[in-house]
Amino acid sequence: MTATALVSIVDDDESVRESLPDLLKEFGFAVQSFASAEEFLASGRLDETRCLVLDIAMPGMSGPDLQRELTRRSQPIPIVFITANEDSSECARVMDAGAVSCLIKPFSETALLRAVTKAIQTE
Amino acid sequence: MAKDLGVAPVEGVPAIRPDYLLVADSIPALIGVIAPDGAVEGVNRAVLEYFGATLEEIRGWASSKLVHPDDIPAVIAAQKHAFETGERILNEHRLLRADGVYRWHRIYGEPLRNSEGEIVRWYMLQTDIDDLKRAESLLAGEKRLLEMVALGRPLAEILNSLCGFVEQTAPDCMCAVFPIDQGEHVFKKGFAPSLGDAYTGPLEGVPAVPGSAPCGAAAADKTQVIASDIESDPRWRNSAYREHALAFGLRAVWSTPILARSGEALGTFAVYQQHPGSPTQIQQDLIAQFTHIASIAIERAKSDDAIRRSEAFLAEAQRLSSTGSFYWRRTSDEIICSEETYRIFGIEPGTPVTLKLIATRIHPDDLQRFNARVEARRTNNIRTEVEYRLLMPDGSIKFVHLVSHPTPTENGEVEYTGVIQDVTEARVAEETLGKLRSELAHVARVTTLGALTASIAHEVNQPLAGIVTNASTCLRMLAADPPNVEGARETARRTIRDGERASEVIARLRALFTKKTTTSGSIDLNEATREVVALSMSELQLHRVAVRLELADDLPPVKGDRVQLQQVILNLLLNASDAMSTVEDRPRELVIATSCDGADVQLSVRDTGIGLDAGDPDRLFDAFYTTKSSGMGIGLSVSRSIMDLHGGRLWAAPNRGPGATFSFSIPCEVQDVLPAVTDRHQGVMVG
Repeated sequence: MTATALVSIVDDDESVRESLPDLLKEFGFAVQSFASAEEFLASGRLDETRCLVLDIAMPGMSGPDLQRELTRRSQPIPIVFITANEDSSECARVMDAGAVSCLIKPFSETALLRAVTKAIQTE
Repeated sequence: MAKDLGVAPVEGVPAIRPDYLLVADSIPALIGVIAPDGAVEGVNRAVLEYFGATLEEIRGWASSKLVHPDDIPAVIAAQKHAFETGERILNEHRLLRADGVYRWHRIYGEPLRNSEGEIVRWYMLQTDIDDLKRAESLLAGEKRLLEMVALGRPLAEILNSLCGFVEQTAPDCMCAVFPIDQGEHVFKKGFAPSLGDAYTGPLEGVPAVPGSAPCGAAAADKTQVIASDIESDPRWRNSAYREHALAFGLRAVWSTPILARSGEALGTFAVYQQHPGSPTQIQQDLIAQFTHIASIAIERAKSDDAIRRSEAFLAEAQRLSSTGSFYWRRTSDEIICSEETYRIFGIEPGTPVTLKLIATRIHPDDLQRFNARVEARRTNNIRTEVEYRLLMPDGSIKFVHLVSHPTPTENGEVEYTGVIQDVTEARVAEETLGKLRSELAHVARVTTLGALTASIAHEVNQPLAGIVTNASTCLRMLAADPPNVEGARETARRTIRDGERASEVIARLRALFTKKTTTSGSIDLNEATREVVALSMSELQLHRVAVRLELADDLPPVKGDRVQLQQVILNLLLNASDAMSTVEDRPRELVIATSCDGADVQLSVRDTGIGLDAGDPDRLFDAFYTTKSSGMGIGLSVSRSIMDLHGGRLWAAPNRGPGATFSFSIPCEVQDVLPAVTDRHQGVMVG
């Protein structure tokens, strides 16, 4: 585990993009956030990203869409999905597709830290 | 001939000149001479002839039948008074004519005095006033009967009096009146005070035809029928009536039709004698006169009946329709009310009604309006159509609908004629219906919101996630060494912001979930639309529906129930989303647009879904009609009834491309803060 591992956050919700980076920084990660999957793909920071915290439901390209795209590009970044939707079937689908974890909002810092840590270790 | 009237010479009084005696004997008047002590001294020839008696017999009048025995005491008393006071004699009594008939006479007695002034003799003039007397009596009787008719006395009372009077005027006779039922052509219950019900009873229902009885013949032929002896009269030999009449001892039966002015027979007037005979001229005159009065009485009773029937009909109609009528005399403030109007206002019938009294029944909240309107109608002629609430003495509330219009009177004044209807039941029913509608709308809304459960959870969880994350960060920043106070302050601020966001979502949901009554307010439809879209955004995202808002700038406000209008928008939104759930070959696009065409604000929801079924697009709005596997199918039906309630319209139309557009339009709020005026001012000046 590297102290300055880059965690990328992709969520259309602004409050998540505001709050989550600060918490992850407190844990000692480097954080970069993006408002959409398209923005992340175009950022050129895919290679550095050690963990992707990814929202499921987004306008345009959704979280699962991005997961598939990364698989297609053979860029297996460990993904921690986050969703405000309580529908567990969604989580099951993304886990089947290879996600490290699926957190349902609101989630505790412990759960987040455990999931992100696990993702980075997976790599 | 008595040369000297049989009068002895009196001292101090010149003897009667012979030519005067001749005059006295020749004039056709009854003249007598009486001594101061009352003894008959002499009479002229006319007296002897009238009585068919001798002077001697006449002298014994006080103990004979020449003066009607009933009248003798009065005659003696009158003479005594005259002899004592010397005043002229003037009285009336009955005298027995030679043919055996008592006739009324008027007696004048003038005293003759000697040179000392003493009365030495009385000269008497007797005038037969029997015809006059009878005419007077008939006139009085007729007057009394006509008074009874004019006063509207019961027909039975009038006809019984009529019979009684005729029987009194024509002794030996009995009378009956038999009215006819015009519809059935049979005799109704007759009136015969002397013969009684035993006589008239069996004749009730007998057909008014010639063969039945003399009365039947008279009515059928409209002519007088004289049966001088019913016992032997061949016309009724075989009729049951013959036996009936004979059983009552009747022999002569004279029946006269009572004819209406229009000529139809109203009944018959029957006169009977217990011995055979035909009517005398006097009796015929009597019959003619009183048959006429009977016709007036029966016709009056008939028209009274008709009026009573029509009044009863009107009262019944007023009662059934809870509608009363009234009449307001503007100058005197007098109000004339029908029975139903009294009932509606809860005022004892017959009580004089004034505006003051009415005002005590008007609901205090309506009183100012009531007074203002009354004042306006005092000076102007204005038609009225208005609703008031009444506060009854028992505390209950009535709703009344009042319509009145000015009516010119004959003397050039203007009065108001109007009707007042108790519409309480209708109002209560409307209120109940309104409540039921609100409840149904609520049920439909909660059902619709059920489909949004995931979306709602998402809406709440999102800010909650922010709160938890920010609070965790904040604690960590404060626990650092040194504490990152600036960072902690920033995260605390975000925590508060997310908390507020969560409570806004809850507040919006609470309104949609719990509100059951219908209220009315000014609504910005754009704002209401944005709220609904925010609430359902994640649901739409989940179904990969792209939403685009095309909201018009400066949209005027509409008047209505905010929650119910949002319910309609939400319904259209979710329906549009559902319509696109199977679409994979094109974007799932949903456009919500608002616009204003002046009087109405319109909102449309356009989708790119499966479109409308061929056939009647209006079926979509029927209750329980659904093409979906979930849902009750009441969403659109309730949405349409909500639009109806708002005076708006809801409709569906296919798009030119794929999909359909559902739209509603609703009137803009009228920018009028004045209280609503329900009057239709047809301020017609009359007169």
